[in-house]
Amino acid sequence: MSLLQGTRSTRVRLPIPNSAKRIRPLFAAAVPAILLLLFLLFAGACATKTLTLEERAQGIDQRLMCPVCPAETIDQSQADVALQMRELVREKLRAGESEEQIFDFFVERYDKGVLAEPPAEGFNVLVWVIPPVALVLGLALLWFGIRHLGRPEHRGMSSEGDWEAESERYLREVKEEFEAYRRASGAGEASGQGS
Amino acid sequence: MAELGTLSLFFALTLSLYACVGSVIGVRKSLPELVTSARYSAYLTPLPVIVSVMALVGAFLSRDFDIKYVAEHSNAAMSREYAWVAFYAGNEGSILFLAVALAVAAAVALALAPRLHQASLAYTCAVVTGVLTFFLAVLVFLANPFEATAVPVPDGRGMNPLLTHPGMFVHPPMLMTGLVTVTVPFAFAVGSLLAGRTGDEWVDTGRTWALVSWSILGAGLLLGGWWAYTILGWGGFWAWDPVENAGFMPWLVLTAFVHSIMVQKRRGMFRVWNIALINTAFTSALLGMFINRGGPTPSVHSFAESVLGWVFLGFMVVTALFSFGVLFKRINFLRNAQRLESKLSREAAFLVNNLLFLAIAFVIIWGQVFPVLSDTVTGVTITVGEPFYNQVNGPLLLALVFLMGIGPLVPWRRGSFRQLRRALLLPFIMALAVAIVLIGLGITKAFPLLAVGLSAAVATGIVREWYRGTRARHRSGESYPVAFLRLISANRPRYGGYVVHLAVVMMALAIVGTYFFETQRDVRLAPGQTTEVSGYSITYIESEQRDFPDRAERIATVEIVAEDGRSLGTFRPEQSFYPAFNLRPARAAIHSTPLEDVYIIPNDFFPDGTVGFRVLVNPLVMWMWVAGPVMVLGTLIALWPARSRARAPTMVSVPSVMPTPARAAE
Repeated sequence: MSLLQGTRSTRVRLPIPNSAKRIRPLFAAAVPAILLLLFLLFAGACATKTLTLEERAQGIDQRLMCPVCPAETIDQSQADVALQMRELVREKLRAGESEEQIFDFFVERYDKGVLAEPPAEGFNVLVWVIPPVALVLGLALLWFGIRHLGRPEHRGMSSEGDWEAESERYLREVKEEFEAYRRASGAGEASGQGS
Repeated sequence: MAELGTLSLFFALTLSLYACVGSVIGVRKSLPELVTSARYSAYLTPLPVIVSVMALVGAFLSRDFDIKYVAEHSNAAMSREYAWVAFYAGNEGSILFLAVALAVAAAVALALAPRLHQASLAYTCAVVTGVLTFFLAVLVFLANPFEATAVPVPDGRGMNPLLTHPGMFVHPPMLMTGLVTVTVPFAFAVGSLLAGRTGDEWVDTGRTWALVSWSILGAGLLLGGWWAYTILGWGGFWAWDPVENAGFMPWLVLTAFVHSIMVQKRRGMFRVWNIALINTAFTSALLGMFINRGGPTPSVHSFAESVLGWVFLGFMVVTALFSFGVLFKRINFLRNAQRLESKLSREAAFLVNNLLFLAIAFVIIWGQVFPVLSDTVTGVTITVGEPFYNQVNGPLLLALVFLMGIGPLVPWRRGSFRQLRRALLLPFIMALAVAIVLIGLGITKAFPLLAVGLSAAVATGIVREWYRGTRARHRSGESYPVAFLRLISANRPRYGGYVVHLAVVMMALAIVGTYFFETQRDVRLAPGQTTEVSGYSITYIESEQRDFPDRAERIATVEIVAEDGRSLGTFRPEQSFYPAFNLRPARAAIHSTPLEDVYIIPNDFFPDGTVGFRVLVNPLVMWMWVAGPVMVLGTLIALWPARSRARAPTMVSVPSVMPTPARAAE
């Protein structure tokens, strides 16, 4: 593998000025292209498609739990309650109620557990806050970990080349220890709890 | 049958306990004979466990309703082939399955392990049989599947009807095997630490077994998705359900491990980290088993089962304390062989990968535990469901796809931005091109554009690597097919990994397709009536009802006609009702093409002859199922042993067996 990379890079190295020239225009083209993409993304986000009533209803279905079935939304469940709730959602949408009003209605009826995602209020804010906080902490740990591993004292112990020497040294050590162990025939304690 | 089963379980427990205790005493008191004898005992343990499995399956086949477990999970009407499924349909049987899978895996792993390190092998044997002893003890003392029925019954209750599906012959066994075999790489890691071998000797064996466990678990999860898709009747394959999460969490941690172990294999780095990872993987596998037996989440499990759940949780805490304790004790001896030369290196990329996988696993645990927390603090029960996981884990998964496009192109040791820019140019131009085409097709949502674009970048990167390598070999005189195959076999972990990455790309497409572009309609049709869903005309023709002793099947006949007027055939989706369980499993009509699935499921049969159908048009789902075999193929390539030179029998029966802890203590 490393052999392969080696041959490739030597081959590439010769015509570097050439290839650099070839690549740079492409790279220059990439920047406007990315900008174009960003523009299109935002344009797309702004031009919100108007959803049909059924699509809105399905969106609500997916955020309401079926009160009698463990861990299923009313969109997934085939229980009668779920069926009735789906019907109710559509009725209410037709009557012009907003999503909040509909959720409030079901919360009043079945308590907060009916919402598939906990509302970000009070103590329950934590459920949303902790994951990003943990990720940031993880990133910080990663950063320091990488810096720590990059310090020079980590060089050295036994690189792959020293493996033979290392294992020979180890074998010798073991033999010595074994001899010592045999001499101190008190045996049992020898494997003691040193560290 | 019952006596035979119980007796063999008791035998198995004795053998396994002897293997565990014998190994420890043997290695501590320098009695090589005892160590060997204990290992032989571990080789033997699978036998009685298999006998007790056969006894249980036999009891199902002979409809021995005097056994409580058989009476609860089958009945006279059950067809015979389902005896195998019924065997692990309940709590006791599934623990027996875990035990048999672990017993076999342990024996195979110990028998195949390199004989270089007697002491660590002895400790490994002790750890793996220790875990096995736990399962067997639970079976013998707490959850004996051969317990007699209190009051004789003429017929059993029957198997849970959701389980009568071909997928059930393989999905639960694979999931459970995957979960429990995490013990093997864990045992090699902890075993070598206990023996004071703080080098990299455990790495190859540990990696092999971690990959085995990882791929079995992954395949099991996919099969579970397929089962949910065809039978649960809502048209999706993943809902972040507690039980799904229970298998997914360890899989994520294992994925992190099989990546970062490569760094130790090649460069002798991350020694502490890899052991911490495999410990975490094992702990989360036990957590998964706890959740499956009535964990912290809403479930319909009975009290008896939740007691067992706490036993698993207790065992999890004990093993976690033990394994991390051992790691902590040896931590000063686990130095890295080399320093991390650059932040822009494959090593660092693997660390970022690890962070992301662990973050997703953390989100899952957090989502599972939070309802309990909230309940105790505020007194209000809340639900943490699908929308939460999608919103929090969606971006993390996207970041992983992004990393998958870059990581493999970053060289080991030290990369330069120049080089990276050159390597990334083509993939990301591809990504842009794909995104622009998609925008042209009218897709404007940011997440799918990013996900599909990045997937294109990943695929381009992989294909180009293959192309370049093959071309280089071709130039030195090999024909293209030969060059391609030799390229792959020259660095199997790498090219096998690429195949797995391609499978992940397929899954990403399927997920984006179904999550963002699915069309769903609930319609009520009278016979002869037609409805149209995104271009397909669906005609409901007729329905019939068939009555069975345990269920009533209602079958609807529907015809699907494509947009161009071509008939795609008639289908017979069905829904059954099982009064004993109050369950209505369905069997969907699915017309699958690589582009999209038409999915029809009858939900309601009304008295007036009309039928309520749910019709879905699901883009790209098929790629989810194609990804499974591709992923397994990639794993096999990555696992395939290099031409055997390492297998030279270096049977050093040096007394290296002994006072190794003393060495570590120096």
